[in-house]
Amino acid sequence: MWKASVLGMKRIGALFVLFAFLTLLLSGCWNRRELNELAIAVAAGVDRVDDRYRLSVQVVVPGQVASKKAGGSQAPATLYTAEGDTIFEAARRMTQVSPRKIYFSHLRMFLIGESMARAGIAKFLDFLMRDHEFRTDFYLVTTKGATAEDTLKIMTPLESIPANKLFNSLQTSERVWSPSLTVTLDELINDLSNEGKHPILTGLEITGNREAGETPENVNAIKTDANLRFVGLAIFKVDKLIGWLNETESRGYRYIKGGVKSSVAFVPCGDKGKVTLETVRSHTKVTGKILGSKPEIEIKAFVEGNVGAVECRGLDLIQTKTIDELESKMEKKVEQLMKSVIAKVQEEYKVDIFGFGEAIRRSHPGFWRRHKEDWDDRFFPNLAVRIKVDYHIRRTGTLNNSFINDMKE
Amino acid sequence: MPEYKISLRQLMIVTAMFTVGSGILLVPSGLASIAKQDAWIAALIGVLFGFGAVSVHLLLAKMYPTKNLMQICETLMGKWIGKAIGLLFLVTFFLCGPTTVLQEIGNFVTIQMMPETPIEAIILLFGAIMTLGARLGLEVLARSIELMFPWVVFLFTAMTLLLLSEVKLERTFPVFEFGALPLFSAALTFASVVFFPHIMLLMIYPASVNRPEQAYKAVYIGSLFGSVVLVIVIALTILVLGPSITAQSMYPSYMLAQKISIGNFLQRIEAVMAIMWFISLFFRLALYLYMIVAGLSIILGIKNRQALMLPAGWIMSTLAVFIYPNVAYRQSWDAKVWVPYTLVVGVFLPMLLLGLHGIRKLRSRKSA
Repeated sequence: MWKASVLGMKRIGALFVLFAFLTLLLSGCWNRRELNELAIAVAAGVDRVDDRYRLSVQVVVPGQVASKKAGGSQAPATLYTAEGDTIFEAARRMTQVSPRKIYFSHLRMFLIGESMARAGIAKFLDFLMRDHEFRTDFYLVTTKGATAEDTLKIMTPLESIPANKLFNSLQTSERVWSPSLTVTLDELINDLSNEGKHPILTGLEITGNREAGETPENVNAIKTDANLRFVGLAIFKVDKLIGWLNETESRGYRYIKGGVKSSVAFVPCGDKGKVTLETVRSHTKVTGKILGSKPEIEIKAFVEGNVGAVECRGLDLIQTKTIDELESKMEKKVEQLMKSVIAKVQEEYKVDIFGFGEAIRRSHPGFWRRHKEDWDDRFFPNLAVRIKVDYHIRRTGTLNNSFINDMKE
Repeated sequence: MPEYKISLRQLMIVTAMFTVGSGILLVPSGLASIAKQDAWIAALIGVLFGFGAVSVHLLLAKMYPTKNLMQICETLMGKWIGKAIGLLFLVTFFLCGPTTVLQEIGNFVTIQMMPETPIEAIILLFGAIMTLGARLGLEVLARSIELMFPWVVFLFTAMTLLLLSEVKLERTFPVFEFGALPLFSAALTFASVVFFPHIMLLMIYPASVNRPEQAYKAVYIGSLFGSVVLVIVIALTILVLGPSITAQSMYPSYMLAQKISIGNFLQRIEAVMAIMWFISLFFRLALYLYMIVAGLSIILGIKNRQALMLPAGWIMSTLAVFIYPNVAYRQSWDAKVWVPYTLVVGVFLPMLLLGLHGIRKLRSRKSA
């Protein structure tokens, strides 16, 4: 009996020692990073300044974001910049100005300054891919007509953290208007390393008065002085920016790439009137063919839409004939959108941003292996592209015929 | 005390976990760098190779349903040569197999999660629980695998389902762009990481299974399950990340988990997904250690094998810190040495044993 209790005591003693050791091990690890020791970066931008990298990082000021009372005295985010011969060096040099080490895991936007984009983006992308703090889920965009640093200085209404405003408006505009395109790091790397497709990024510009945009007054007025706007797509030849697509061309590009979730377009009706149609879903199939010895691309687009707004008299939406007519007008319109952007890129830039080469590679790997070297110079500019659009109007909104039909003349 | 015998169900789950093991983290990148977008086909061919190897192991097990690998060696090669071969096998395997896997865990954590934490700390912690698990023996290991198995299945299924929205089928085209040769060399890599080490499982089945004559079913089903998991992971890396990024990344399956993003709220759960491979790596390691020590105690005639566990685990953890000087060394080692080595121990050794068995049989028939 006595012996047993001693044994029990020993056991308890051993357990205590074990627990003591466990607390040593479990109390944390070398890499613990408490929230109040982090500077959480939400947006970053890189510019080329005299052959060096200038990295700008927009960091959240937690106190300003968390406080419930609106309108703190400080800005909700702050911007740190540093220069370096390599981008990693610039990122670490930033600790000279930032009180905390920058934490990149929650990055939402990465801005590539136009100067950087023209000089080539591949060199610093490796760092973003290699460093463990960067996830691959942030969006990359190119600034247009301004440096990334200036772009990150603009105060924005509605979303107090500018990076969030950029992230959300890029996502929303991709979804409901479709001239812009969200590109994540892994997609960009894929475009750069796969044969037969050149990368493309959405452009971002500052509108209005730039200086006024950097002050809190920018968000105090109802009509803001400056704002950030996504404008069309940037065309890259391998990793260098060589030109821009405007809004219409960008939408054509989106239709070719497929996956336009929603967009709006109009076709004329009656005299001077317009019917606006809302695209609700679309998918596109791009197939490569070889006819004789010539490559050919076939694009088949399937688009569904609804009638969204009618401006003219005499349009009888109850008749299937009317719907058929609208459909065929719309098919021509979408086809035209695609054709014009293809023609422009073929004539002006001569780089295959559509992935037509990739389509050929997938369907005819043998042909591709023989001709991939001169694809962009020889084949792409003269490539025959056959487009077939299938537009289906499903519904006409909450009205059938417009009240305009019954309106007194 | 009679030795604990595991049930067929447990053998099946042990085999499945052993198959998934380290492959889930290590295989996709190597396969994609050789076979590009056809990596998943290479994996399927690798599964065929692997089942070939496993069937050789099973044939051996059928001949000696009460003996484990070391005892088979001694019976067929004579006491001293058998012991020498067995020892050579165990020591080299100890160095190339579990020790490198243990370092790989350290590498994974230091590369992806905690770069400033010394690798020794991670290896020590993992090595400690691995030793603890192996010391508690087959019964505890088998039962805990049974307990953890549903979690691995759940996490794996969740990951697969959550990634379906990111899948792009066109990434797998063109099929057979580079011909058959890279497919076979990639398939061999796959089999050498995933299946050839199954020779070690001969330390558990048939001798430690309660119905040895049925063991083959459990091993086949377990291997099949593990293969399905691995082929799906490899196919997902190609379908979601594309062949280039899969080949460029150290741990594509971790990147895969990073891609999960459903409606902007179910995202950034890669650390949760990492639990899946921590569990599978733990069991692969603990099983390795258990089997190696069990083999060693038979060769050396040590009754109390528990006494060997702690030193073996300790040596393994220490070696794991510096077994590869850097990651490039590991990659060239895996490509140049690991494949031929596992071919020798996982395919030629059992074939040799079968050959010897055949000769013995012929001789005994003649003399009779």
